[in-house]
Amino acid sequence: MASHGVPRSATREQRSVEARQKELREIEQYQSLVTEIRQGVEKKDLSPELLDKTSALLKKNPEYYTIWNVRRLIFANEFDNLVNQVQNQHLEEDKKQSQVLDIINHDLYFLFPLLLEYPKCYWIWNHRLWLLNQGSFYLTPGGARALWDDELTLVSKMLTRDSRNFHGWGYRRTVIEKLESDELNGQSLSRAEYNYTTKMIGQNLSNFSAWHTRSRLILKILNEENADAVERKQMLDEELKLIHKALFDPYDQSLWFYHQNLMSNFDPDTCQKAMAPGLSQAEKVAYVQEEREFVEDLIEDAADSKWVYQALMDCVLIEGKLTGGLSAEMNKNVQTWLEKLKELDPLRSGRWADVQHTILRRTV
Amino acid sequence: MSLVSGPGRGGTHNQDALPDQLKLAVDQHVRYIRNLDTRKDELQYWLTEHLRLNGVYWGLTALHLLGHPEGLPRDATIKFVLDCHNIDGGFGAAPGHDSHMLYTVSAVQILATVDALPELESSKYGGKAKVADFIANLQDRESGTFAGDEWGEQDTRFLYCAFNALSILNMMDRIDVDKAVAYVKACENFDGSYGRIPGAESHSGQVFTCVGALAIARRLDLVSQDRLAAWLSERQLPNGGLNGRPEKLEDVCYSWWVLTGLSIIGKLHWIDKSKLSNFILRCQDTEHGGMSDRPGNMVDVFHTCFGVAGLSLLGYPGLRKVNPMYCMPDDVVQKLPYWHK
Repeated sequence: MASHGVPRSATREQRSVEARQKELREIEQYQSLVTEIRQGVEKKDLSPELLDKTSALLKKNPEYYTIWNVRRLIFANEFDNLVNQVQNQHLEEDKKQSQVLDIINHDLYFLFPLLLEYPKCYWIWNHRLWLLNQGSFYLTPGGARALWDDELTLVSKMLTRDSRNFHGWGYRRTVIEKLESDELNGQSLSRAEYNYTTKMIGQNLSNFSAWHTRSRLILKILNEENADAVERKQMLDEELKLIHKALFDPYDQSLWFYHQNLMSNFDPDTCQKAMAPGLSQAEKVAYVQEEREFVEDLIEDAADSKWVYQALMDCVLIEGKLTGGLSAEMNKNVQTWLEKLKELDPLRSGRWADVQHTILRRTV
Repeated sequence: MSLVSGPGRGGTHNQDALPDQLKLAVDQHVRYIRNLDTRKDELQYWLTEHLRLNGVYWGLTALHLLGHPEGLPRDATIKFVLDCHNIDGGFGAAPGHDSHMLYTVSAVQILATVDALPELESSKYGGKAKVADFIANLQDRESGTFAGDEWGEQDTRFLYCAFNALSILNMMDRIDVDKAVAYVKACENFDGSYGRIPGAESHSGQVFTCVGALAIARRLDLVSQDRLAAWLSERQLPNGGLNGRPEKLEDVCYSWWVLTGLSIIGKLHWIDKSKLSNFILRCQDTEHGGMSDRPGNMVDVFHTCFGVAGLSLLGYPGLRKVNPMYCMPDDVVQKLPYWHK
C-alpha cells in the first residue's frame, strides 16, 4: 500500500522531454489494455486472448484486483465448460481432471515470479488460494493434495528468503489447515509444524513470528493428543528450558514476550487458558520462584536490560497473587525495580508510573 | 486524487532541528493534497487507480483535520463517490472497478464527512439499504467474520470495515454483531494483541481493526487492556517512531494503528507522546508538502493522512480533533445517530 520505503528519485520537473513523451506513451498503452479487458468482460468474451491481456496487465500492476477477478471469471467459465462436456459425454472424467490440473498449474506458474517480485501483495496470495481451492473442488483428493504439498514447499522457500513475512506465515497456516483437512484425507501436522518453528528459531532467535506460531501449536498439540497433566507439565518444562537457553541474549523482546507467555501458566488470572492449567498452587509458587532466581542471575551480565527488571516484577507480582500478598521485602524490591525501569525505559515512564500507583493502592 | 508518491520526500526538516523548531507545515500539506489530482501525466497515477477511493478518503480526512474542509470541491467529491457505486450495492476503487469492502467503507466515510449521506438515495444503484445489504451479505454466518468481496478472502480488516460503515449508516441490525464480536475475541493472542484470523500473529494494524470493532460494538470489556497496552507501548522505538510488530522498523502509519488502540483503552500516556510527535514532524516535506513513512523516503497521501491523524490524537495544537475508532473528524462521529442510542 502507498509507498513504504521508497527512497527519493527524480521529480517530474527534472524529467527530460523524451522521458515525459515516453511516459505518456506508456500511459496510453496501459489504458488501452485496461479498456480492451473491460470491453471483453462486457461482451462476455472470456477467451484465451482476454486471459493473455489480463496477464500482460497484471505483470505491470499486480495490485489491480478487478483484473484478478476477471481472470477468475475466465477460469470458472472454463471449468464449467469442462463439467458440461463430461455431462454431455463429450469428455471423460479423467481427461477433465487433467485439463483442470493443467489450467491450475499453468496459472500457479504464472504467479510465481510475481510473488517473488511482490511478496507483500495480498491479491497474489489470494489468487493462489483460489486456484488451489478450485483444485480441491474439481480434482480427486490425491490430485489436489499434491498441489497443496507443493504449496507448502513454496511457502517454506518464501520464509527462508524473508523469515518474518507476515503473509508468508499466515499463508503457511492456511496451507497446513488444508493439508490436515478431511477433504484431502489429511491428518494433524502439528508436531511437524512445531519442529519447523524449532528450526526457524534455531536460525534466528528474534523471530517473533516463529515464537508466536509455536505458542499456538503447543495448545493445539496438547489438545489433539489429549495430553494429561503430567504431559502438559513436561511440555512446559521443555519450553522453559528452551527459552532459558535462548535468553543468553537478555535484550531481545521476542524472547521476553515468549517468556511472559509461559509465565501465564502460573498467573491465577490467565492459567486456565495456558498449556498446563492443572498445576497445583504449590507447583505454581515453586515455578515462579525458580523463574525469579533465573532472571536474577541474568542481572549480573545485563544490568541495563529493562526486560530483566520487567520480568522480575512480573514474577513477584504473580507470586503475590498466589500467596495472598507481597512481603515487605518484596514490596521494597518492586519499588527499586520500578525506579530502575523508569530510568532505563523513559519512553514508557507513564506505564511504570501507573504500575507503581496500582501496587501502592493495593498495599495500602 | 493521485496515490503517486513524491514529488518530495519526508525529512526536509534539518534532522538536527530542536524539537521546538519542528512545526506542522499546514499550508504545504493542503496544497500537496489539492494538487494530487493534477498528476494524470504520470504512469503511477494510473497504476494506483485501484486505490483511488481510499485515496480520496485519505486526502479528504487529512484536509478536514488540517482545518481546510473546502480543500476538495464538495460536489465533485460526491459525484466521484457515486460514480464508483456498482449494481451490487458496493463500491469499487474507481468507476468501472469491482465492488470491495475496502472501498465501500471509504465511500460511506467520505459521504459522512462531507455531510452528504442522503445523496446515496440518488444513486441509480439504490440507497443506503442497498449498501448495507452488500456489506451484510459478506458476513460468514457460521464464523461471524467478513469477506472482502464475493471471492471470499476473510480478514478482521473487513469485519472492522463492516462495523464502521454500518454504524455510520445506523444499520448494525443487518448483521450478527455477537458472532462477529466472538470472532474478534478468538483472534486475540497471548500478548493481548490481535491477528487477521484466529491463530495469526499479532499486528498493530489488526489492533486498530479489532479494538476499533469492539469499541464500535461497545464491547471493550473483552480487551485484555494491560497486556495489550504493554505490547502496544513496546512498539515505540528510541527515535520516537512506532513499529507494527516486534523487531520491525518504525513507520508513520503506525502512529495511527498503534496510537488508536492505546487511546481507545485510555493508555495514550504509556508511550512518549512528544517524541512520537517529533518523529511524525520529521517525516514531513516542509517545502512541497506531504509525509513519508520515515525520514528520507518519498511522501504519499496515505502517510500524510495517518501522520496528521496521529498528531491530532496526540493533541497537536490547531488540528481538528480526530475520532480514534473511525479516523474521521470527531464532531462528525458525535453527530451519528448510532451514538445517540
